[in-house]
Amino acid sequence: MAEPLLQFFSLMDAQGGVIVKEPPKFDLDLYVQNYRGRTRFDRLFLIARCSVPLCIDALKAAIAEAKKGRDTQQYREAVECLRVASPHDPDAIFDQQWLDATDKVNRVELNRLSVELKAYKNNLVKESIRMGNEDIGRHLESTGDLHGAAESYAKMRPDISTPKQIIDVAKHLVRVSALKQDWGMILAHVAKLVGGHSSEDEKVLHGYIKIVQGIACLGQERYEDAAFSFLDVDPTVPATVYNEIASPNDIAVYGGLLALATLEREALEKLFLGSPTFRTFLELEPHIRRAITLFVNGRYSACIAAIEAYRADYLLDIYLQKHVPKIFAKIRSKCIVQYLIPFSCVKLDTMNAAFGTPDHPVEEELIAMIKEGVLQARIDAIDRLLITVSASPRSKLQASALETAQKYERQAIDKLRLLGLASADLELKGRKGPGPAAGISLPSMGDMGLIEDSIMA
Amino acid sequence: MDHCAAVLLLFPESFSNDLPDPEYHKAARQHVQKVENLSKDGLLAKFAPQLLPQIDPAVNSISFLALLLESLSDRSTKKIDAILPHLVRFLMTFDARQIRYAGTQMSNLLSAFADFERAPMINDVWEHTINPSMAGSLTLWQASLVVDLLATALLRIDPTGSVLTAHHLTLVRLAYTSNNIEPALPVLEKTIVFYPGAKPTLAPKFLCDMAVHPTAYITPETGLGSKVTPSTVLKYDALRALCFIQRRSWQQAFDSLQRVITHPAGPGVCSNIMADSFQKWQLVGLLLNGKAPSLPPSVSVSAQNIYLTTGKAYIAISQAFESNTATALIQEYGRYTQDEWVADGNLGLIKTVLSHYQRWKIADLRHIYTKISLEQIRALTQSAETGASLGSEQQVLDLVQDMIATGMLKGEVIPAVADGSKPAHLVFHSLTEELSSAAFSAEMADTAQRIAALAPLVETLSERLETSREYVRHMARDAARFKDKSAGLGSGSHPFEAQVDDEDLMIGLSTTR
Repeated sequence: MAEPLLQFFSLMDAQGGVIVKEPPKFDLDLYVQNYRGRTRFDRLFLIARCSVPLCIDALKAAIAEAKKGRDTQQYREAVECLRVASPHDPDAIFDQQWLDATDKVNRVELNRLSVELKAYKNNLVKESIRMGNEDIGRHLESTGDLHGAAESYAKMRPDISTPKQIIDVAKHLVRVSALKQDWGMILAHVAKLVGGHSSEDEKVLHGYIKIVQGIACLGQERYEDAAFSFLDVDPTVPATVYNEIASPNDIAVYGGLLALATLEREALEKLFLGSPTFRTFLELEPHIRRAITLFVNGRYSACIAAIEAYRADYLLDIYLQKHVPKIFAKIRSKCIVQYLIPFSCVKLDTMNAAFGTPDHPVEEELIAMIKEGVLQARIDAIDRLLITVSASPRSKLQASALETAQKYERQAIDKLRLLGLASADLELKGRKGPGPAAGISLPSMGDMGLIEDSIMA
Repeated sequence: MDHCAAVLLLFPESFSNDLPDPEYHKAARQHVQKVENLSKDGLLAKFAPQLLPQIDPAVNSISFLALLLESLSDRSTKKIDAILPHLVRFLMTFDARQIRYAGTQMSNLLSAFADFERAPMINDVWEHTINPSMAGSLTLWQASLVVDLLATALLRIDPTGSVLTAHHLTLVRLAYTSNNIEPALPVLEKTIVFYPGAKPTLAPKFLCDMAVHPTAYITPETGLGSKVTPSTVLKYDALRALCFIQRRSWQQAFDSLQRVITHPAGPGVCSNIMADSFQKWQLVGLLLNGKAPSLPPSVSVSAQNIYLTTGKAYIAISQAFESNTATALIQEYGRYTQDEWVADGNLGLIKTVLSHYQRWKIADLRHIYTKISLEQIRALTQSAETGASLGSEQQVLDLVQDMIATGMLKGEVIPAVADGSKPAHLVFHSLTEELSSAAFSAEMADTAQRIAALAPLVETLSERLETSREYVRHMARDAARFKDKSAGLGSGSHPFEAQVDDEDLMIGLSTTR
């Protein structure tokens, strides 16, 4: 690695960022073409900061992207990064002229829009006020003031007159919330979109809603909900409807991975592989389809290998990055559990061959799974075996019967005691009348003249 | 004196015990009255020393009790010395049925007796009359004698041990402060569910009826039980818990502390005893189950808030106990100085928690392993006293064997094989043991029996509640409402309780009938 690049990534590492050394399987240009709007810059910038092989290319693309827009802050950040990563690159020099000009244009434009909005407000024409707010929102969004943009878009609401405008406002707000990664707000805005639209619109809107809901649930770690949201997306919805947030390929990857992490074999086969709609998405990402098929067919180590091969890609995804370790761990533990079902006892070496790597023996993972209760098994560390525990229904029943009986007895005595206290009027009561508030009103154990607890005596 | 003796020996006559309840009741009442008259005349005080040896406390309990009380009124050392053997004899053998008629006197005697522990005079008596071999360790024995006799007397009065009296508190305080818990255990281990002074009082027709529950005769009216305060109840359970902690009976200590922290309290009210008990409850919970206990739902919200504030350090200890390394626990312990733990009265307990940490971590390994080498145990677990793993395999072996011996761990240690193929290791026994049919049904029957034994208590309580003023008022109101409702429906009017299907502002109510 070149010296400046090394310096750049040690800086990123110090900031707690994810660093991906393996080259991803996608082509950067083709990848970015799938998207529209600010998300293009955000995605490029994330790849630049995380992927060692793509760093310079992505930074240059990000700088070009920023220069196409009006957000000078984006440009500054990207150039700053490039100056560290590759100081001699021609793009690493600030285009001060462009910066000044754009800043000035932005100021003038904001001023103009504000004056216009004021005039509309004086005229009391609702439609104009709505459009004025929308213009300011768009302007602020393009210059990077996401908070201000959200505020302006929200101000459109009182002046809405048609259902389509409701959808527009919600879409603006969802987009800004997605850029801010504010998942709760996305769900709140989407909730206002349901119902009351013509059937054609409804279909398109439904697809849009399901996608953003899925992404918001993913952000909130509600993986199963997210998987079902993605499953519901209609493939005929044109990508232009949602490509400011995600691409059709993303839907296949998110949906497929989350389904692998959360659903059982039967459900995966029936709902995902068997679904005519989701199949269309899966065709875009054949490796996900292969992984699901392998899982369903019981070839667990091959399934893990299939998704592991794409780990670098997933780590460079703006929404997936944070969740990759968790989702992969879930898929792995599901594979291990499924693998063990036909056996009562498996050699740890066999388990290692199937799931472990020389650096990460599977034993620690098994221990963690047993502790969490995911795996019903015990380890024999002497003979190196993993023994599955099949609780006999008889002893289970006995234990639960005895426990219930004892619990009943305890509760009965406790109820009797409480009734006894109530009937003898022994409830603690607060002091009446003025004075310090009721509260601690009896002497403490210390005041009772007790000797120090002499348990060790 | 002969007259006096004649009166005192009059009841019960040899056949009295076979008398039907009404007659016995009448005779006992009369006798109490007669004895009182003698006492008023000053005859009892005069002849007590001569009369006491002649009367059998097991037979003429009321008379004997009166004589004792008269003798005790003069508290000169010499006199008391002479009385003590009689007192002991009485407390061990008195007739519980007769004593119901002399409740106040009995109560006075017990209070006076409990005071003896503080007086030095009992020494000689004990030394010479009861157990001559024990001379030399008298201070220890005098308290243990008092505790033992008090416990015996309380159980003779109330064999079920389910009614709390002020003497219970005296007993437990004495037992704990003098470290004589063992003799008090028969009383302490009983579960208290009744408290004297409950309204309404259910006076039995005849106090001598042997079938009535102790709640019927241990009442402020008979004098055997005075009305207790919430503070007495809390103190009793808290002290009882301290006794069990001292004996390391964690389950019983935990249950007692839980009784204190779940004591019903009005909004915004909590007692210091409850807050202190919460701290101990947390620690005892750790010792009992190896994990932080969760608050029972019956704790009021305001008490909960107070517990969470005053017991913050202890909750932190509980959470740290659950982590896999001892560092967090040691850190939480170190947050407060030794003096601060002493001020809470919990230093001993918390040190025990620290020493039990590693035991629980070893015991928890049974959920993960079936067999594990001692060396692995050494590497995986840490002592919370030193913050490090144990020094050698031998120390692990000692610890594990101690755990197996105390029953904390079910398993066995297999020594290393000589050729080195297998190291010394611990084999955990199965967690769920399947019981044989017979053993299982025996255990179930045992529990069922214990639950069935609660039936009389439930009956007593329900009888009391059914006659309580609030309940009767509620029933009367209910009946009146029902009557109103049926009358209203019959007359075709719109009673307010009638089911309203729909309310239209233009038309009014519409109902279905």
